[in-house]
Amino acid sequence: MPVINTHDPERQEIVSRRTFLFGGGVTLLITGIAGRLYQLQVADYEKYQDLAQENQFNRRVLTPLRGEIIDRFGNVLASNRKNFRILLIPEQSRDIDATIDKISQYVPVPDEKRARIIREIRRRGAFTPVEIENNLSWPEFSRINFELPHLSGVLPDVGETRDYPFGEASAFVIGYVGAVTDRDLAAQESDEDRTLLRQPGFKIGRDGLERTYEKELRGQAGKMNVKINAHGRVIEEFADEATPAIQGKTLTLTIDADLQQVAMKELEGESAAAVVMDTVTGDILVLASTPAFNPNDFNVGINSDLWKELNASPYKPLLNKPLSGVYPPGSTLKVLSAIAAQEAGVKPTQTAYCSGKVWYGNRYFHCWKRGGHGTVDMKGAIKHSCDVYFYEIAKQLEVDILANVARKFGLGQTYQLGVSGQKKGIVPDREWKRQYYAGQPENQPWFQGETLSVIIGQGYVTSTPLQLCVMAARVASGRAVRPRLVRAVGDLVLPEPNAPLIDIDHDHLNVVRAGMNAVTNEYGTAARSRLEDPAWQMAGKTGTSQVYQITAEDRAKGLAKPEDLPWERRDHALFISYMPFENPRYACSVVVEHGIGGSRAAGPKAREIMRAVAAKDPASRTPIDPRSLVQRAGARQREG
Amino acid sequence: MSTLILPGPRRGPRERLSQLHWPLIILLTMIAGVGVITLYSVAEGNWRPWALRHGLRYIVALSILIVMGLVAIRYWMALSYPIYFAALAALAATPFIGEINMGARRWIELGGIQFQPSEAMKIGLVMALARYYHGLRAEQVSHILYLIPPALMIGAPVGLVFIQPDLGTALLLAATGIIIVFVAGLSWRIGLIGAAGAVAAGYGAYRFEFLKPYQLERILTFLNPDRDPLGQGYHLLQSKIALGSGGLDGKGFMHGTQSQLKFLPEMQTDFIFTIFGEEFGFVGAVGLLLLYLAVILTGLSIAMTAKSHFARLAVIGVVATFSLYVLINTGMVMGLAPVVGVPLPLVSYGGTVMLTIMAGFGLVMSAHVHRDQDVLRSSDLL
Repeated sequence: MPVINTHDPERQEIVSRRTFLFGGGVTLLITGIAGRLYQLQVADYEKYQDLAQENQFNRRVLTPLRGEIIDRFGNVLASNRKNFRILLIPEQSRDIDATIDKISQYVPVPDEKRARIIREIRRRGAFTPVEIENNLSWPEFSRINFELPHLSGVLPDVGETRDYPFGEASAFVIGYVGAVTDRDLAAQESDEDRTLLRQPGFKIGRDGLERTYEKELRGQAGKMNVKINAHGRVIEEFADEATPAIQGKTLTLTIDADLQQVAMKELEGESAAAVVMDTVTGDILVLASTPAFNPNDFNVGINSDLWKELNASPYKPLLNKPLSGVYPPGSTLKVLSAIAAQEAGVKPTQTAYCSGKVWYGNRYFHCWKRGGHGTVDMKGAIKHSCDVYFYEIAKQLEVDILANVARKFGLGQTYQLGVSGQKKGIVPDREWKRQYYAGQPENQPWFQGETLSVIIGQGYVTSTPLQLCVMAARVASGRAVRPRLVRAVGDLVLPEPNAPLIDIDHDHLNVVRAGMNAVTNEYGTAARSRLEDPAWQMAGKTGTSQVYQITAEDRAKGLAKPEDLPWERRDHALFISYMPFENPRYACSVVVEHGIGGSRAAGPKAREIMRAVAAKDPASRTPIDPRSLVQRAGARQREG
Repeated sequence: MSTLILPGPRRGPRERLSQLHWPLIILLTMIAGVGVITLYSVAEGNWRPWALRHGLRYIVALSILIVMGLVAIRYWMALSYPIYFAALAALAATPFIGEINMGARRWIELGGIQFQPSEAMKIGLVMALARYYHGLRAEQVSHILYLIPPALMIGAPVGLVFIQPDLGTALLLAATGIIIVFVAGLSWRIGLIGAAGAVAAGYGAYRFEFLKPYQLERILTFLNPDRDPLGQGYHLLQSKIALGSGGLDGKGFMHGTQSQLKFLPEMQTDFIFTIFGEEFGFVGAVGLLLLYLAVILTGLSIAMTAKSHFARLAVIGVVATFSLYVLINTGMVMGLAPVVGVPLPLVSYGGTVMLTIMAGFGLVMSAHVHRDQDVLRSSDLL
């Protein structure tokens, strides 16, 4: 039914009406769009203007350089070095996994590390840059920079990282820095501190002086406004208006890095500790502990294998042995026993006959020398380390007198060094035993037989190598010398701790000193450790502290000599010394774990260390002025 | 056969060239010019990669428009159903032979040329519906039986595009189709019932998770932009900041900080209006809107003066598509419509869409040049 189209006015009219309606509708909607534009661009202009500014301008925190740590002569023990690293801003990365895949074509990113990065992103949110890899070599770093257009959200950065040039040798003195944890953040007092700590790769003092002096070493953050694009890339820096960061204060130590290295070398291969002190000022010149970890392994994030290895080693490389290692002082305590005996009224001329053993209570107490020493006086007893002489004294000696002397000479206490983990050790007396056996009344009374053990440095009594060194220094000087590790913080030179005369009869000390001199110089127990230079006549005292008592069964099995025992059951070897004999200046203690005998394992090491100490004198007595060093550091910073 | 055609005055090619609607061509060229300068700015003052190609494409597309305009409207009418069904067939084939791009299968390759069947369908649907209503009398339009064919004609491509998935284009096709049916004279009563049904269907789609997660995400973000400051909402917020900070007279050509600093996504395509608005301010943006309105109203006036029903409806369909592009895109960048990936016609960079738009206006031009010709209601047209 082909119908001609021309005349359908009704249809045309509807279409015309509806077209008008449609046109009107569209006009209305476009007017609405224009109205919305008016609202955005004219009415709310200022609001969006501000938001645009916020978009563009960002306040960057300028991370301060961490303060340096230097030894008494200005040798750098801890400083900062350039660290090429790559950061990722999660928010700007299209696909984090893909980006890390791409990066790992240039720098390997193990799965373990990838998991850590993802965890960190979740914890810190999309806006905070996260460190993907640090300590890149220059070729690696430049390759990443070259590929940057294909790596969305990746930000190359030149940061600073802690550097410990002496590595293991300074590990226990300085400690190390590590990554910031949530707990660190919570502990900060101000938001500004928290912001600083959130900077990628920021490190905080984790152990040792790095931790104790965190506040002083950290420095002050600066601020700078920067113009950024949507990818967070800085387009323009407003350096003129910036507040620069201020480097942390320089920490000047009492340590002598050279001597420290000599000591580390001497102790190498052993599980051992050595301390050298200035007997006048209390300055610690050497604080050595072996084996040690390398603090440089820690500040870049230690890998778990190495951590496990360090923890599992029987040589305890994570233990700061001079301060935290606790050992029975053994015969080194006899110098104090002799003083205590005199305080109790024993004349140094009093003699005893040593047959090799003494019956007391219900058993024999043996001298280390099976055949006995014959008749000895006090000096001879020290020189030969005769146990029987002291057993005889101990039969009458009140243990509290011995304990009192021990405390006066530095045992049973910790010192203000700025390094945590110091152990107090035990100076046993009647009160101590009462408390120790609280709840076991039958064990609480002191038995005189126990004094026989304590007087030769066995039994309950324990000490640290630091305390033994303090003891030697106090015997040498007669003053209550206190050890210290930090000479100056920034340009503030800390006053030398005062060392009052020890409240005892100093004539008693001379007997002990003569005994110690005989140990090394009159063919005593440490004759092998004698220093030949008459200007540096060294007095000493050996010690051997029992770890395991060889039983009758062991003897039956043929285990008679200590060398037959497994390493961990052998006796500890100890040695204390000071020099020069007349007019003393330096004291030293050495402990070699399971070294069997003080005279053969510890004494020779002490001798070599002291020989090096003597060689550095008198320079050691005049350390550099920290104020001049601070200026030097300041100049260095400006150059950088 | 010639008796079946009611010829208007016959004209030669030269005369017909002078019959072209030159004001419309000038308006379209001005809009494309805005596109060129904005793309130049987006590329930080470079002709490459976008501005130059945009301009060249426009010249090609304009030639196509003129050629199409010189082809008599009755030929276009005759081609309506073939074009529609060819596009439909291509759409149906897309899921099997299409290229996957950005998670959807939208492109197919034909003789070395990539094209999107959904774009061809935008023209095809308009022509087919116009062709259909050309053959109906006024009283038939709202008859329920006569509603079934257009419902199928709209529903089939919309469904196929939706499963690609391309929600934006599906909605655009549906809306264009509905506008044509409405302008053709659908009764208000049926229109309201249909609208109610659509709302119910939309709610159902939401309830039964018919939408892809990213589609739902876009709609939810649109409803509450602060929900996800770094996802979809982030782009919208950045777009508003850029526009708003443009102020009354803008930051100046090539001085749009937000866009130059790349805070905006898809700057050369979907968010180009923002760039223009930031650099030329309220004055510039409203000026561009007025250009668009002028094109729309010119198109509608051409529809009103065309003699044939096919021409009228086809022109309205093309103008409707164009209007929807403009409204959805501008509404989208300032938070009045969801971010659905609809470009700003002739300004956004992209060849396919430009070709679609200009081909559509080729039809409009043909309707104008041949406005005096009417065509039989139904017959062998050629």
